[in-house]
Amino acid sequence: MRIVVDFALCESNALCVSAAPEVFEVRDDDRLYVLDENPPEELRAKVEAAMRVCPKQAIKIED
Amino acid sequence: MSDFDTLDFFTDQSLVEDPYPYFEFLRSQGPVVRLPHRNVVAVTGYDEAAAVFRDTDTFSNCNSVVGPFVPFQADGDDIDELIARSREQMPMHEHMVTMDPPDHTKERALLMRLITPKRLKENEEFMWRLADRQLDEFLSKGACEFIGEYSQPFAMQVVADLLGVPEEDHRLFRVRLGVNPTPGSVDDPESMFANLNSLDFLDAWFTRYVDERRREPRSDVLGHLALAKYPDGTVPPVIAVVHAATFLFAAGQETSARLLGSCLQHLAEHPELQEQLCANRQLIPNFIEETLRLESPTKTDSRLARRTTRLAGVDVPAGTTVVMFLGAANRDPRRFERPAEFRVDRPNAAEHIAFGRGAHACPGGPLARAEAKVSLERILSRMRDLRISEAEHGPPGARRFEYTPTYILRGLTTLHLEFTPVDAPEPVS
Repeated sequence: MRIVVDFALCESNALCVSAAPEVFEVRDDDRLYVLDENPPEELRAKVEAAMRVCPKQAIKIED
Repeated sequence: MSDFDTLDFFTDQSLVEDPYPYFEFLRSQGPVVRLPHRNVVAVTGYDEAAAVFRDTDTFSNCNSVVGPFVPFQADGDDIDELIARSREQMPMHEHMVTMDPPDHTKERALLMRLITPKRLKENEEFMWRLADRQLDEFLSKGACEFIGEYSQPFAMQVVADLLGVPEEDHRLFRVRLGVNPTPGSVDDPESMFANLNSLDFLDAWFTRYVDERRREPRSDVLGHLALAKYPDGTVPPVIAVVHAATFLFAAGQETSARLLGSCLQHLAEHPELQEQLCANRQLIPNFIEETLRLESPTKTDSRLARRTTRLAGVDVPAGTTVVMFLGAANRDPRRFERPAEFRVDRPNAAEHIAFGRGAHACPGGPLARAEAKVSLERILSRMRDLRISEAEHGPPGARRFEYTPTYILRGLTTLHLEFTPVDAPEPVS
Protein backbone atom coordinates (compact mmCIF):
# COMPACT_ATOMS: atom_id res chain seq x y z
CA MET A 1 0.00 0.00 0.00
CA ARG A 2 1.40 3.36 -1.00
CA ILE A 3 0.02 6.68 0.30
CA VAL A 4 -0.04 9.74 -1.91
CA VAL A 5 -1.00 13.11 -0.42
CA ASP A 6 -1.81 16.04 -2.68
CA PHE A 7 -0.11 18.79 -0.71
CA ALA A 8 -1.57 21.45 -2.97
CA LEU A 9 -4.98 20.48 -1.57
CA CYS A 10 -4.04 19.72 2.06
CA GLU A 11 -5.13 22.45 4.49
CA SER A 12 -3.86 20.77 7.67
CA ASN A 13 -7.31 19.97 9.01
CA ALA A 14 -5.60 17.07 10.82
CA LEU A 15 -8.57 14.70 10.68
CA CYS A 16 -6.30 12.04 9.16
CA VAL A 17 -4.15 12.30 12.28
CA SER A 18 -7.04 11.18 14.47
CA ALA A 19 -7.92 8.36 12.07
CA ALA A 20 -4.39 6.99 11.58
CA PRO A 21 -1.87 8.54 14.00
CA GLU A 22 0.69 5.86 13.06
CA VAL A 23 0.86 7.34 9.56
CA PHE A 24 -0.04 11.04 9.71
CA GLU A 25 1.20 13.89 11.87
CA VAL A 26 0.53 17.63 11.84
CA ARG A 27 3.44 19.35 13.55
CA ASP A 28 3.91 22.70 15.23
CA ASP A 29 4.61 24.30 11.86
CA ASP A 30 0.96 23.45 10.95
CA ARG A 31 2.07 21.18 8.13
CA LEU A 32 1.17 17.55 7.49
CA TYR A 33 3.90 14.91 7.57
CA VAL A 34 3.42 11.37 6.28
CA LEU A 35 5.37 9.26 8.75
CA ASP A 36 5.19 6.11 6.67
CA GLU A 37 4.44 6.26 2.95
CA ASN A 38 4.29 2.47 2.69
CA PRO A 39 2.49 1.43 5.86
CA PRO A 40 1.97 -2.26 6.68
CA GLU A 41 -1.19 -3.95 5.47
CA GLU A 42 -2.69 -4.17 8.97
CA LEU A 43 -3.09 -0.38 8.90
CA ARG A 44 -5.19 -0.43 5.72
CA ALA A 45 -8.54 0.07 7.48
CA LYS A 46 -7.18 3.05 9.40
CA VAL A 47 -5.60 4.60 6.30
CA GLU A 48 -8.83 4.15 4.34
CA ALA A 49 -10.71 5.88 7.15
CA ALA A 50 -8.15 8.71 7.00
CA MET A 51 -8.76 8.97 3.27
CA ARG A 52 -12.52 9.24 3.81
CA VAL A 53 -12.38 11.79 6.65
CA CYS A 54 -10.02 14.13 4.76
CA PRO A 55 -12.20 17.17 4.04
CA LYS A 56 -10.14 18.05 0.97
CA GLN A 57 -10.00 14.52 -0.52
CA ALA A 58 -6.24 15.01 -0.59
CA ILE A 59 -5.24 11.46 0.40
CA LYS A 60 -5.03 8.59 -2.07
CA ILE A 61 -4.03 4.98 -1.64
CA GLU A 62 -2.23 3.37 -4.56
CA ASP A 63 -2.57 -0.43 -4.82
CA MET B 1 -46.25 9.02 1.47
CA SER B 2 -47.67 8.95 -2.04
CA ASP B 3 -47.36 12.67 -2.69
CA PHE B 4 -43.59 12.42 -2.22
CA ASP B 5 -43.77 11.49 -5.92
CA THR B 6 -45.00 14.89 -6.96
CA LEU B 7 -43.96 17.42 -4.32
CA ASP B 8 -41.33 20.03 -5.02
CA PHE B 9 -38.61 19.83 -2.36
CA PHE B 10 -37.41 23.38 -3.08
CA THR B 11 -40.68 25.14 -2.29
CA ASP B 12 -42.62 22.66 -0.17
CA GLN B 13 -43.17 23.83 3.41
CA SER B 14 -44.19 20.38 4.61
CA LEU B 15 -40.62 19.07 4.34
CA VAL B 16 -39.04 21.78 6.50
CA GLU B 17 -39.88 20.20 9.84
CA ASP B 18 -38.77 16.66 9.01
CA PRO B 19 -37.14 16.04 5.64
CA TYR B 20 -35.80 12.59 6.53
CA PRO B 21 -38.78 10.42 5.44
CA TYR B 22 -38.56 12.17 2.05
CA PHE B 23 -34.82 11.47 1.88
CA GLU B 24 -35.55 7.78 2.52
CA PHE B 25 -38.22 7.83 -0.18
CA LEU B 26 -35.58 9.10 -2.63
CA ARG B 27 -33.02 6.56 -1.44
CA SER B 28 -35.51 3.72 -1.99
CA GLN B 29 -35.25 4.53 -5.73
CA GLY B 30 -31.44 4.43 -5.73
CA PRO B 31 -28.51 6.59 -4.60
CA VAL B 32 -29.03 8.94 -7.55
CA VAL B 33 -32.52 9.75 -8.87
CA ARG B 34 -34.09 12.30 -11.19
CA LEU B 35 -36.74 14.49 -9.51
CA PRO B 36 -39.95 15.46 -11.32
CA HIS B 37 -39.28 19.20 -11.07
CA ARG B 38 -36.69 21.80 -12.04
CA ASN B 39 -34.29 19.56 -13.99
CA VAL B 40 -32.74 18.16 -10.82
CA VAL B 41 -30.89 14.93 -10.15
CA ALA B 42 -30.85 14.14 -6.42
CA VAL B 43 -27.92 12.35 -4.76
CA THR B 44 -28.59 10.55 -1.49
CA GLY B 45 -25.67 8.08 -1.65
CA TYR B 46 -22.48 8.71 0.29
CA ASP B 47 -20.00 7.44 -2.31
CA GLU B 48 -21.91 9.11 -5.14
CA ALA B 49 -21.87 12.49 -3.33
CA ALA B 50 -18.14 12.11 -2.65
CA ALA B 51 -17.61 11.40 -6.36
CA VAL B 52 -19.49 14.56 -7.37
CA PHE B 53 -17.47 16.64 -4.89
CA ARG B 54 -14.26 15.26 -6.37
CA ASP B 55 -15.12 15.86 -10.01
CA THR B 56 -14.83 19.62 -10.42
CA ASP B 57 -14.15 19.04 -14.08
CA THR B 58 -17.67 17.77 -14.79
CA PHE B 59 -19.61 19.64 -12.09
CA SER B 60 -19.57 23.41 -11.66
CA ASN B 61 -20.11 25.23 -8.35
CA CYS B 62 -21.74 28.22 -10.08
CA ASN B 63 -25.16 27.24 -8.66
CA SER B 64 -24.02 26.07 -5.23
CA VAL B 65 -26.16 28.79 -3.62
CA VAL B 66 -29.13 29.00 -6.01
CA GLY B 67 -29.45 25.25 -6.51
CA PRO B 68 -31.98 24.59 -9.26
CA PHE B 69 -32.94 28.26 -9.67
CA VAL B 70 -30.45 28.72 -12.49
CA PRO B 71 -31.18 31.88 -14.47
CA PHE B 72 -30.40 30.48 -17.91
CA GLN B 73 -31.51 27.73 -20.26
CA ALA B 74 -28.94 25.06 -21.08
CA ASP B 75 -28.60 23.70 -24.59
CA GLY B 76 -26.23 21.05 -25.92
CA ASP B 77 -23.84 18.61 -24.30
CA ASP B 78 -21.25 21.11 -23.07
CA ILE B 79 -22.26 24.37 -21.41
CA ASP B 80 -18.88 25.63 -20.18
CA GLU B 81 -19.16 28.70 -22.35
CA LEU B 82 -22.73 29.42 -21.26
CA ILE B 83 -21.67 29.16 -17.61
CA ALA B 84 -18.76 31.53 -18.18
CA ARG B 85 -21.06 34.01 -19.92
CA SER B 86 -23.76 33.81 -17.25
CA ARG B 87 -21.71 33.91 -14.07
CA GLU B 88 -22.39 37.55 -13.34
CA GLN B 89 -26.13 36.90 -13.17
CA MET B 90 -25.63 34.40 -10.36
CA PRO B 91 -26.06 35.30 -6.68
CA MET B 92 -22.75 35.24 -4.77
CA HIS B 93 -20.73 35.09 -7.99
CA GLU B 94 -17.98 37.19 -6.40
CA HIS B 95 -17.50 34.64 -3.64
CA MET B 96 -15.41 31.50 -3.91
CA VAL B 97 -18.36 29.29 -2.98
CA THR B 98 -19.61 29.66 -6.57
CA MET B 99 -16.23 29.66 -8.35
CA ASP B 100 -14.59 26.86 -10.31
CA PRO B 101 -10.93 26.08 -11.04
CA PRO B 102 -8.69 27.78 -11.93
CA ASP B 103 -10.24 30.91 -10.30
CA HIS B 104 -11.37 28.98 -7.26
CA THR B 105 -7.98 27.35 -6.76
CA LYS B 106 -6.35 30.76 -6.77
CA GLU B 107 -8.78 32.37 -4.29
CA ARG B 108 -8.95 29.35 -1.99
CA ALA B 109 -5.16 29.41 -1.69
CA LEU B 110 -5.59 32.67 0.25
CA LEU B 111 -7.23 30.64 3.03
CA MET B 112 -4.44 28.07 3.10
CA ARG B 113 -3.38 27.33 6.68
CA LEU B 114 -5.59 30.08 8.01
CA ILE B 115 -7.69 27.98 10.38
CA THR B 116 -5.26 25.33 11.59
CA PRO B 117 -5.12 23.35 14.83
CA LYS B 118 -2.43 25.68 16.15
CA ARG B 119 -4.34 28.89 15.49
CA LEU B 120 -7.50 27.37 16.90
CA LYS B 121 -5.69 26.63 20.15
CA GLU B 122 -4.91 30.32 20.48
CA ASN B 123 -8.49 31.22 19.66
CA GLU B 124 -9.86 28.65 22.13
CA GLU B 125 -8.71 30.70 25.11
CA PHE B 126 -11.13 33.38 24.00
CA MET B 127 -13.88 30.79 23.43
CA TRP B 128 -13.64 29.47 27.02
CA ARG B 129 -14.03 32.96 28.44
CA LEU B 130 -16.80 33.84 26.02
CA ALA B 131 -18.77 30.65 26.77
CA ASP B 132 -18.82 31.48 30.49
CA ARG B 133 -19.66 35.12 29.85
CA GLN B 134 -22.57 34.14 27.61
CA LEU B 135 -23.89 31.55 30.10
CA ASP B 136 -23.65 34.11 32.94
CA GLU B 137 -26.28 36.20 31.17
CA PHE B 138 -29.10 33.73 31.78
CA LEU B 139 -27.86 30.93 34.04
CA SER B 140 -29.59 32.06 37.22
CA LYS B 141 -32.99 32.07 35.45
CA GLY B 142 -32.83 28.28 35.01
CA ALA B 143 -34.25 28.73 31.51
CA CYS B 144 -33.22 30.21 28.17
CA GLU B 145 -34.02 30.45 24.50
CA PHE B 146 -30.76 28.84 23.53
CA ILE B 147 -30.47 29.92 19.87
CA GLY B 148 -30.93 33.64 20.50
CA GLU B 149 -29.32 33.81 23.94
CA TYR B 150 -26.33 31.55 23.35
CA SER B 151 -25.73 30.00 19.89
CA GLN B 152 -25.99 33.08 17.72
CA PRO B 153 -24.13 35.59 19.91
CA PHE B 154 -21.47 32.97 20.69
CA ALA B 155 -20.89 31.94 17.07
CA MET B 156 -20.76 35.56 15.92
CA GLN B 157 -18.27 36.67 18.54
CA VAL B 158 -16.03 33.65 17.97
CA VAL B 159 -15.67 34.23 14.26
CA ALA B 160 -15.32 37.99 14.82
CA ASP B 161 -12.52 37.39 17.32
CA LEU B 162 -10.82 34.87 15.05
CA LEU B 163 -10.83 37.27 12.12
CA GLY B 164 -9.96 40.30 14.22
CA VAL B 165 -13.13 42.35 13.76
CA PRO B 166 -13.11 45.11 16.40
CA GLU B 167 -15.57 44.56 19.21
CA GLU B 168 -17.27 47.93 18.78
CA ASP B 169 -18.47 46.82 15.33
CA HIS B 170 -19.99 43.49 16.43
CA ARG B 171 -23.46 44.74 17.32
CA LEU B 172 -23.86 46.52 14.03
CA PHE B 173 -23.10 43.40 11.98
CA ARG B 174 -25.32 41.27 14.14
CA VAL B 175 -28.32 43.44 13.46
CA ARG B 176 -27.76 43.51 9.72
CA LEU B 177 -27.08 39.78 9.37
CA GLY B 178 -30.27 39.07 11.28
CA VAL B 179 -32.30 41.21 8.90
CA ASN B 180 -30.79 39.91 5.68
CA PRO B 181 -32.84 37.06 4.25
CA THR B 182 -31.09 33.70 4.26
CA PRO B 183 -30.61 32.39 0.72
CA GLY B 184 -32.69 29.41 -0.27
CA SER B 185 -36.03 30.44 1.24
CA VAL B 186 -38.72 27.87 0.39
CA ASP B 187 -41.29 30.72 0.44
CA ASP B 188 -39.61 32.87 -2.15
CA PRO B 189 -36.45 31.35 -3.64
CA GLU B 190 -36.28 33.92 -6.45
CA SER B 191 -35.70 36.69 -3.86
CA MET B 192 -32.01 35.68 -3.99
CA PHE B 193 -31.74 37.48 -7.30
CA ALA B 194 -32.77 40.86 -5.86
CA ASN B 195 -29.24 41.42 -4.58
CA LEU B 196 -26.54 39.25 -6.09
CA ASN B 197 -24.21 39.82 -3.15
CA SER B 198 -26.24 39.81 0.04
CA LEU B 199 -23.03 40.41 2.01
CA ASP B 200 -22.17 43.68 0.24
CA PHE B 201 -23.15 45.74 3.30
CA LEU B 202 -20.04 44.30 4.97
CA ASP B 203 -17.68 45.34 2.16
CA ALA B 204 -16.98 48.88 3.35
CA TRP B 205 -16.00 47.78 6.85
CA PHE B 206 -13.89 44.87 5.72
CA THR B 207 -12.17 47.02 3.10
CA ARG B 208 -11.12 49.29 5.93
CA TYR B 209 -9.87 46.36 8.06
CA VAL B 210 -7.85 44.95 5.15
CA ASP B 211 -6.42 48.35 4.17
CA GLU B 212 -5.34 48.94 7.77
CA ARG B 213 -3.61 45.58 7.90
CA ARG B 214 -1.83 46.07 4.60
CA ARG B 215 -0.39 49.28 6.00
CA GLU B 216 0.27 47.87 9.45
CA PRO B 217 0.52 44.06 9.66
CA ARG B 218 -1.39 42.28 12.42
CA SER B 219 -1.27 38.67 13.60
CA ASP B 220 -5.02 37.98 13.44
CA VAL B 221 -6.64 36.03 10.59
CA LEU B 222 -7.55 39.19 8.70
CA GLY B 223 -3.92 40.26 9.06
CA HIS B 224 -2.75 37.04 7.42
CA LEU B 225 -5.42 37.29 4.74
CA ALA B 226 -4.47 40.88 3.99
CA LEU B 227 -0.88 39.85 3.26
CA ALA B 228 -1.63 36.49 1.59
CA LYS B 229 -0.51 36.15 -2.00
CA TYR B 230 -1.83 34.12 -4.89
CA PRO B 231 0.12 30.92 -5.68
CA ASP B 232 1.89 32.77 -8.54
CA GLY B 233 3.21 35.33 -6.04
CA THR B 234 0.98 38.22 -7.11
CA VAL B 235 -0.89 40.35 -4.59
CA PRO B 236 -4.68 39.93 -4.65
CA PRO B 237 -6.84 43.02 -5.07
CA VAL B 238 -8.29 44.26 -1.77
CA ILE B 239 -11.82 43.36 -2.85
CA ALA B 240 -10.85 39.68 -3.35
CA VAL B 241 -9.55 39.56 0.21
CA VAL B 242 -12.67 41.35 1.41
CA HIS B 243 -14.95 38.80 -0.24
CA ALA B 244 -13.01 35.89 1.28
CA ALA B 245 -13.33 37.50 4.71
CA THR B 246 -17.00 38.53 4.54
CA PHE B 247 -18.00 35.04 3.46
CA LEU B 248 -16.07 33.42 6.31
CA PHE B 249 -17.62 35.91 8.68
CA ALA B 250 -21.22 35.36 7.58
CA ALA B 251 -21.13 31.64 6.79
CA GLY B 252 -19.38 30.89 10.06
CA GLN B 253 -22.29 32.16 12.11
CA GLU B 254 -25.47 30.62 10.83
CA THR B 255 -24.21 27.04 10.47
CA SER B 256 -22.30 26.93 13.77
CA ALA B 257 -25.32 28.32 15.59
CA ARG B 258 -27.51 25.58 14.08
CA LEU B 259 -25.02 22.90 15.08
CA LEU B 260 -25.01 24.11 18.69
CA GLY B 261 -28.82 24.09 18.68
CA SER B 262 -28.95 20.48 17.42
CA CYS B 263 -26.41 19.37 20.04
CA LEU B 264 -28.43 20.88 22.88
CA GLN B 265 -31.76 19.65 21.53
CA HIS B 266 -30.44 16.10 21.50
CA LEU B 267 -28.87 16.39 24.94
CA ALA B 268 -32.04 17.83 26.45
CA GLU B 269 -34.08 14.94 25.06
CA HIS B 270 -31.63 12.36 26.46
CA PRO B 271 -30.84 12.80 30.17
CA GLU B 272 -28.78 9.59 30.22
CA LEU B 273 -26.51 11.08 27.58
CA GLN B 274 -26.01 14.20 29.71
CA GLU B 275 -24.75 12.01 32.52
CA GLN B 276 -22.59 9.94 30.22
CA LEU B 277 -20.90 12.98 28.63
CA CYS B 278 -20.54 14.73 31.95
CA ALA B 279 -18.76 11.72 33.44
CA ASN B 280 -16.68 11.05 30.33
CA ARG B 281 -15.71 14.26 28.57
CA GLN B 282 -13.62 12.31 26.05
CA LEU B 283 -16.89 11.40 24.34
CA ILE B 284 -17.74 15.01 23.48
CA PRO B 285 -15.88 15.21 20.13
CA ASN B 286 -17.59 12.09 18.80
CA PHE B 287 -20.94 13.31 20.13
CA ILE B 288 -20.42 16.41 17.96
CA GLU B 289 -19.53 14.31 14.90
CA GLU B 290 -22.61 12.14 15.39
CA THR B 291 -24.79 15.26 15.69
CA LEU B 292 -23.27 16.64 12.48
CA ARG B 293 -24.00 13.33 10.78
CA LEU B 294 -27.63 13.03 11.91
CA GLU B 295 -28.61 16.71 11.77
CA SER B 296 -26.33 18.08 9.06
CA PRO B 297 -26.68 21.88 9.29
CA THR B 298 -26.27 22.18 5.53
CA LYS B 299 -29.15 20.19 4.08
CA THR B 300 -28.28 20.45 0.40
CA ASP B 301 -25.32 21.49 -1.73
CA SER B 302 -25.71 21.86 -5.49
CA ARG B 303 -23.63 21.57 -8.63
CA LEU B 304 -24.36 22.15 -12.31
CA ALA B 305 -23.40 19.51 -14.88
CA ARG B 306 -21.05 21.25 -17.33
CA ARG B 307 -21.10 18.27 -19.65
CA THR B 308 -23.52 15.45 -20.32
CA THR B 309 -22.54 12.55 -18.11
CA ARG B 310 -23.86 9.58 -16.14
CA LEU B 311 -23.96 9.18 -12.40
CA ALA B 312 -24.69 5.78 -10.81
CA GLY B 313 -26.42 4.74 -14.02
CA VAL B 314 -28.60 7.86 -14.23
CA ASP B 315 -28.36 10.14 -17.27
CA VAL B 316 -27.23 13.63 -16.36
CA PRO B 317 -27.49 15.95 -19.39
CA ALA B 318 -25.40 19.13 -19.37
CA GLY B 319 -27.28 21.85 -17.48
CA THR B 320 -28.79 19.46 -14.95
CA THR B 321 -28.68 20.63 -11.34
CA VAL B 322 -27.14 17.91 -9.21
CA VAL B 323 -28.34 18.33 -5.63
CA MET B 324 -26.47 16.48 -2.93
CA PHE B 325 -28.68 15.82 0.06
CA LEU B 326 -25.97 15.84 2.71
CA GLY B 327 -28.37 14.86 5.47
CA ALA B 328 -29.30 11.80 3.38
CA ALA B 329 -25.76 10.82 2.34
CA ASN B 330 -24.87 10.93 6.03
CA ARG B 331 -27.58 8.33 6.65
CA ASP B 332 -26.49 6.03 3.84
CA PRO B 333 -26.78 2.50 5.31
CA ARG B 334 -23.94 1.34 3.04
CA ARG B 335 -21.60 3.61 5.01
CA PHE B 336 -23.23 3.93 8.45
CA GLU B 337 -24.70 0.93 10.25
CA ARG B 338 -28.31 1.52 11.38
CA PRO B 339 -27.92 5.10 10.21
CA ALA B 340 -30.99 6.68 11.83
CA GLU B 341 -29.74 5.76 15.33
CA PHE B 342 -27.77 8.27 17.36
CA ARG B 343 -24.72 6.39 18.64
CA VAL B 344 -22.39 8.53 20.69
CA ASP B 345 -19.62 5.92 20.25
CA ARG B 346 -20.14 5.29 16.53
CA PRO B 347 -16.62 4.50 15.34
CA ASN B 348 -16.89 6.16 11.91
CA ALA B 349 -19.12 9.13 12.81
CA ALA B 350 -16.39 11.54 11.61
CA GLU B 351 -16.69 10.19 8.07
CA HIS B 352 -19.86 12.26 7.58
CA ILE B 353 -19.83 14.83 4.81
CA ALA B 354 -21.66 17.58 6.69
CA PHE B 355 -18.85 20.00 5.75
CA GLY B 356 -18.78 18.79 2.15
CA ARG B 357 -15.67 17.31 0.62
CA GLY B 358 -12.99 18.21 -1.86
CA ALA B 359 -11.91 21.57 -3.25
CA HIS B 360 -14.85 23.44 -1.71
CA ALA B 361 -14.92 21.65 1.66
CA CYS B 362 -15.95 24.06 4.42
CA PRO B 363 -12.82 25.89 5.64
CA GLY B 364 -14.63 26.62 8.91
CA GLY B 365 -15.14 22.99 9.91
CA PRO B 366 -12.37 22.96 12.53
CA LEU B 367 -13.73 26.19 13.99
CA ALA B 368 -17.27 24.82 14.27
CA ARG B 369 -15.96 21.70 16.02
CA ALA B 370 -13.97 23.77 18.52
CA GLU B 371 -16.97 26.02 19.20
CA ALA B 372 -19.19 23.03 19.92
CA LYS B 373 -16.59 21.34 22.12
CA VAL B 374 -15.94 24.39 24.28
CA SER B 375 -19.66 25.15 24.59
CA LEU B 376 -20.58 21.60 25.59
CA GLU B 377 -17.77 21.43 28.16
CA ARG B 378 -18.95 24.58 29.88
CA ILE B 379 -22.65 23.75 29.60
CA LEU B 380 -22.12 20.29 31.13
CA SER B 381 -20.14 21.88 33.95
CA ARG B 382 -22.63 24.63 34.68
CA MET B 383 -26.08 23.20 33.87
CA ARG B 384 -27.67 20.01 35.19
CA ASP B 385 -30.90 18.29 34.25
CA LEU B 386 -31.26 20.01 30.88
CA ARG B 387 -34.76 19.60 29.47
CA ILE B 388 -36.95 20.90 26.66
CA SER B 389 -39.53 23.48 27.76
CA GLU B 390 -42.93 21.78 27.53
CA ALA B 391 -44.70 25.12 27.65
CA GLU B 392 -42.92 26.18 24.44
CA HIS B 393 -42.36 22.90 22.57
CA GLY B 394 -45.07 20.56 23.92
CA PRO B 395 -44.75 17.31 25.88
CA PRO B 396 -42.51 14.35 24.90
CA GLY B 397 -44.02 12.50 21.97
CA ALA B 398 -45.83 15.63 20.80
CA ARG B 399 -43.02 18.16 20.50
CA ARG B 400 -43.32 21.17 18.24
CA PHE B 401 -40.10 22.54 16.82
CA GLU B 402 -39.67 25.17 14.14
CA TYR B 403 -36.88 24.83 11.64
CA THR B 404 -35.31 27.46 9.42
CA PRO B 405 -37.49 27.49 6.27
CA THR B 406 -34.84 27.04 3.60
CA TYR B 407 -33.88 24.19 1.32
CA ILE B 408 -30.19 24.82 2.06
CA LEU B 409 -29.96 24.87 5.85
CA ARG B 410 -31.30 22.60 8.55
CA GLY B 411 -31.66 23.93 12.08
CA LEU B 412 -33.98 25.12 14.83
CA THR B 413 -35.22 28.71 14.81
CA THR B 414 -35.75 28.58 18.59
CA LEU B 415 -34.91 26.14 21.36
CA HIS B 416 -36.42 26.81 24.78
CA LEU B 417 -34.56 24.96 27.51
CA GLU B 418 -34.93 24.55 31.25
CA PHE B 419 -32.15 23.40 33.55
CA THR B 420 -30.73 23.47 37.05
CA PRO B 421 -27.76 25.82 37.42
CA VAL B 422 -24.73 24.28 39.11
CA ASP B 423 -23.82 26.26 42.24
CA ALA B 424 -20.08 25.79 42.25
CA PRO B 425 -19.04 24.68 38.79
CA GLU B 426 -15.55 23.40 38.27
CA PRO B 427 -13.44 26.11 36.69
CA VAL B 428 -12.06 25.93 33.18
CA SER B 429 -9.19 23.48 33.29
